[in-house]
Amino acid sequence: MPEEEKDMDKLGIFVTNPHQETWRHLKGIVNAVQKAGKKVRVFFTYKSVHLVQQPDFPEFSKLIPEEDLAICLDSYTCEGFDGVPVGLTEKQMRTQAYHGEIVDVCGKYITL
Amino acid sequence: MKILYLYRFKPVESEAQKAIEKLAEALRKDNEVKEFRLYEENPDYDKLVEMIWEADKVISWW
Amino acid sequence: MAVYKFMFLIPNKIYISDGVRSTLGVAVENHYGFAAILNQKIPPVTEYVKENLEWIRDMEGDVFCVVDTMDEEARKYNVDEAGLTPITLEELAKKTLECDYIIAYGLPYQLRELPSMCADTRTVETAKAEEG
Repeated sequence: MPEEEKDMDKLGIFVTNPHQETWRHLKGIVNAVQKAGKKVRVFFTYKSVHLVQQPDFPEFSKLIPEEDLAICLDSYTCEGFDGVPVGLTEKQMRTQAYHGEIVDVCGKYITL
Repeated sequence: MKILYLYRFKPVESEAQKAIEKLAEALRKDNEVKEFRLYEENPDYDKLVEMIWEADKVISWW
Repeated sequence: MAVYKFMFLIPNKIYISDGVRSTLGVAVENHYGFAAILNQKIPPVTEYVKENLEWIRDMEGDVFCVVDTMDEEARKYNVDEAGLTPITLEELAKKTLECDYIIAYGLPYQLRELPSMCADTRTVETAKAEEG
């Protein structure tokens, strides 16, 4: 696969906790980024994977291209879950390497 | 360097909080720091996105 | 591909083990990963966590405990038993200034005392003895 270039119009978001406010801010920020004509890449790790259980997660996941949204498979498994959450595909169940890739392809970066 | 300090949670007074504040203060050295408080009522996400893109680096504090 | 320095700041006990794992995660992607544990004892170091610590160090990163944010018992445990590298807040600030990405990982410091079910007060020695 060709290496992606760093995109200065892309915001990487590393989601690290399942706080309800984190979910609210994530949605707000993704909407604002896309409204501004820019893109996001989002990775949920550790207990933040519980956010896929939010009732509006499937709707949220449709806003972001498949390659730009992922959750940590090991985190999901270690929280007791099986299978693939509604709103995601098998390809979106990734490893921590996805986080490393975020800084390679995203010009901007925040943690939530 | 232009740095954006993004505060995500309302600070609760504690020794742990003081340590973080001390660290955040030390990191301001020679940098131009702007702040945004996500925990305030109705945060302006559009403004935040603008500030993210203006900054060279964003530190998302708790 | 650019190589970046990451500093994971971890003040919440529940997030320590995974913060260290995430630190390794960036190291595996050829970046430099550093983690700083603040405020308390690291949970008992399992073989998995021990391996992660070694790997991070093999890749020229490190896991610190910020000694002036914790009491003597926590300091002693983190440094002598868990093998974390001691660092002061001032030294942490210097190291963090050198980093490209500063990650305030997980939730903020938890004020509520952990109940027994998640407090896990075993030491490494106790755990070793239990493993036999």
